Amino acid sequence: MERVPHTRYVIANFVPRFEAALQYYITKPSVVGKPQSRIAAIVFLAVSLGTVGLTVEAQSPVVAPTPTDQSSETKIPVPEELQKILSAGTVPKTLAQLRLLEQQFGQISEAAKLCTVSIKIGQAQGCGVIIDGGGKVLTAAHVAMRPNKPATVILANGRRLKAMTLGLNKNVDAGMLQISPGQNEGAEWPHATLGNSSKLARGMWCIATGHPSGFDQARGVVTRVGRIARVNRSALRTDCALIGGDSGGPLFDLSGNLIAIHSRIGNDVEENLHIPIDNYSNSWDRLAAGDSWGTLPGFRPVLGVQGNSRVEEAVIDVVRPSSAANKAGIQEGDIIKEFGDRKITDFQSLKAAVAETMPGENVRVRGQRDGRPVFFRVVIGRGE
Amino acid sequence: MVNSSMRSYAKKLPFVLIVMMLATEGQTARAQFEPLPRRDNASMMNLVRPVTEKISGSVVQVYSGDRPVALGTIVAEDGFILTKRSELSGDPIRVRLSDGQLLPARVAAVRRSNDLAMLRIEGDLALKPAKFAGEIPPVASFVVSVGRKSNPIGLGVIGAKPRRISHQGRLGVLLQDDRTGRAMVRGVFPDSGAEAAGLKKGDLIVAINGRKERSRLGVIETLRGMFPGESVRLTITRNDEAEDSTTMDVDASIRDLNVMRESESDARVNGPRNVRLSGFDQVMQHDTVLDPDECGGPLMDIKGNVIGINIARAGRVVSYALPASLILPEMVSMLSEARSASR
Repeated sequence: MERVPHTRYVIANFVPRFEAALQYYITKPSVVGKPQSRIAAIVFLAVSLGTVGLTVEAQSPVVAPTPTDQSSETKIPVPEELQKILSAGTVPKTLAQLRLLEQQFGQISEAAKLCTVSIKIGQAQGCGVIIDGGGKVLTAAHVAMRPNKPATVILANGRRLKAMTLGLNKNVDAGMLQISPGQNEGAEWPHATLGNSSKLARGMWCIATGHPSGFDQARGVVTRVGRIARVNRSALRTDCALIGGDSGGPLFDLSGNLIAIHSRIGNDVEENLHIPIDNYSNSWDRLAAGDSWGTLPGFRPVLGVQGNSRVEEAVIDVVRPSSAANKAGIQEGDIIKEFGDRKITDFQSLKAAVAETMPGENVRVRGQRDGRPVFFRVVIGRGE
Repeated sequence: MVNSSMRSYAKKLPFVLIVMMLATEGQTARAQFEPLPRRDNASMMNLVRPVTEKISGSVVQVYSGDRPVALGTIVAEDGFILTKRSELSGDPIRVRLSDGQLLPARVAAVRRSNDLAMLRIEGDLALKPAKFAGEIPPVASFVVSVGRKSNPIGLGVIGAKPRRISHQGRLGVLLQDDRTGRAMVRGVFPDSGAEAAGLKKGDLIVAINGRKERSRLGVIETLRGMFPGESVRLTITRNDEAEDSTTMDVDASIRDLNVMRESESDARVNGPRNVRLSGFDQVMQHDTVLDPDECGGPLMDIKGNVIGINIARAGRVVSYALPASLILPEMVSMLSEARSASR
C-alpha cells in the first residue's frame, strides 16, 4: 500500500498557473502536466509553423512511403454512400448510412489493431504505429524522448520487440522509432497506410486507437471514434477521447489512412490534440536519420543551476531555490561528474545533458563534494 | 513570462493570422467560433432518436435522498426496475417515470458482484419492460444510451472486446499485529476512505460491521470481500496520550486503489466518475461520455436492440455496460427472489 512516487511529483513540480487552459502530454505513468495559457498556445503555433515552413524548404526530396492500396495496410475502400461523409465531414442522413459508417469503422479498427503498438522506454509508456513493412514506427517526441536509445515495442498480441528510437521534431512533438531487424522472419510488418493531412477539415470523422492507461493484454487496443473540431498545421483537435498512455498512437480517417498521431489533452474531454501526419512526411529524412531538434513548447527541461562554462569542470556556482537541483540536494560548490548515462566534463556538457531530458524525468546524478563522491536523484523541472 | 509571451505574440500576430487562414483550408474565421462538430451533436442525436423511442416508457430516473443518482431500467410489468446499487446510499429511494410521476421505491434484491439493485415500485401501473437482446456488438459499433424520456443521452462506440473487470477495493490502511495479534493501523493511505474516516496510526480495528475481529488476517479477509463504493462500519479502539482507550464506531468507504494512487492531473482529466467503477464479471467498454448519475439505464445498438445496462462511468475514455447475457440470468434470479419474499 505504498504510494508510487512517480505519480506524485507531477503536482509537486508543476503548479498550474492557468487552471482552465491546462494541457497534458499523455504518456503513462510519467504523465507530466503542461500548464500553459491560451496566449502561449497561440505563440507556440506561430513558432512551430515557422519552423515547419523552414524545414520544408531545406528538405532534400522526401522519401516517405507513398500511399498504396495494399491489403496488409489499414486502407479500406469507402462505399459510394459514404463518400460525401468522408470528404465533406458531414453526418449520416439515415440510419442505414449510420450502419454503413459503423461497418467502416469496424474494418478500420480491426486493421488498426495490428499496427498499433505500445512503446516502453524506461518508466514511460506510450503508443506508436508501424508505418512500413520494414518496421518504422511513428510516435510522439515526448514518448521517444531521445534519439538512438533502446526501446521496447509491444504488439497487440503481447509480443515484445526490440527497437531503437530515431529522430525527434520536438517543435511539433513528432518522433520515430525503428523495430530492430530480424524479428519477423523476413516478413513485412502489418502497417498503417500513410495519409496526408493537408486536406483535413472540420467535421471529418476519425478513428483513434491506442493503449489508454498503458498496455493491458486482457483488454487489448482500445478504439474511439470522433470528429475533427479544429485543424492547424501543427495540431488537430478531435473529440476522440485520449488519456495517459495514448501518446503516439494513430488517428485514421474514414478510409483508413493515417492522418495524425496522438499528442496531448486538456481537461475538457473534447480537447484531444494530435500531430498532423504531414509534419512527419515533411521531415521524414531527418527523423529517419536520428536527428533531434526543437523543444516541446512550454516543456523545457530545467535543472535550476548556474555555472561557468569556461571552467574545466562542471562546478555549480548557484542553485536556485526550490529548483529541481535544490530539491535533489545539489549544493553550491558541487562538481557534477555524471548526469544519467552521460559523462560531464564541463558546465556546457551539463547543459547539453539537461536539454536532452524531459521535465518530470528521474535522473541519477553523480557529483563530487569536498573531494568525495555524492549521488543525487533529480526530478527534472519544467521551464516555459 | 506572460508579458514576454504577449510581446512575442504581438510581434507575430500578422504572421499567425495569415498562417492560420491558410491552414484552415479556406474556412472562414467565423467558422472557428461556431459550435465544435462532434460525433454526438444535435443532428446525430436526432438521427438515433427513432432507435431509443423503441423503448419509450422503459426508463426511469432514480432518486436517493432527494438527489437524482442514477437511471433505472424497467424489467417487469409489475413494478421491477434494475439500477446501479452503489448509488443508493440515502433514503428515501424514489423513481420518476417517463410520464413524470414520482413514486416511492424499495430495494427488493441486490447483486453486489455486479453492482445491481432490483427496485420495486407499487401501485396501479401499466409498465413497459425493456427487452434485452443477447448479442454484444463488435468493436467500433455505435451504442446509444437512453434517458428517462426515451431520449438519446449519449452516443459512442464499443472500444474493446468484452471482458471481466477486477477491482482493488481498499479501505486504505496498512496493518500490523499488536501484542495480542489484533489488527493495528500502521499507516493510512492518502485519499483513502480510511483517511476520510479519520483513522489514525495505532488504532485497533476490533469489529467490522458489528462482527468482532480478533486478528489482523481476519480483518484483511473481511475487507478483501468489499467492493469499491461500499461502506463499512469499523469499531476501533484508540489509545490517547494518557493511555486511556476509547472505543468508537466510524463509517468508512471502500475505494479503488488505482483511483487513490492517481495524480491530481489524472483525476482532473478523468472528470466525474462513479466510486464503484471496477469489479464486474463482464463489461462492454464504450467511449460514451456519461455523467455518473446516468448509469443504470439501458444501452442500445443502432438496430434498436437493448444490449445492456450502463453500470459505470470509469474515466475519461471509459464507460462500462453490463451485457444482456449477464443481465438476463441476474434479472431472473433477482425477480424470483424479490417475488418470493413479497409473497
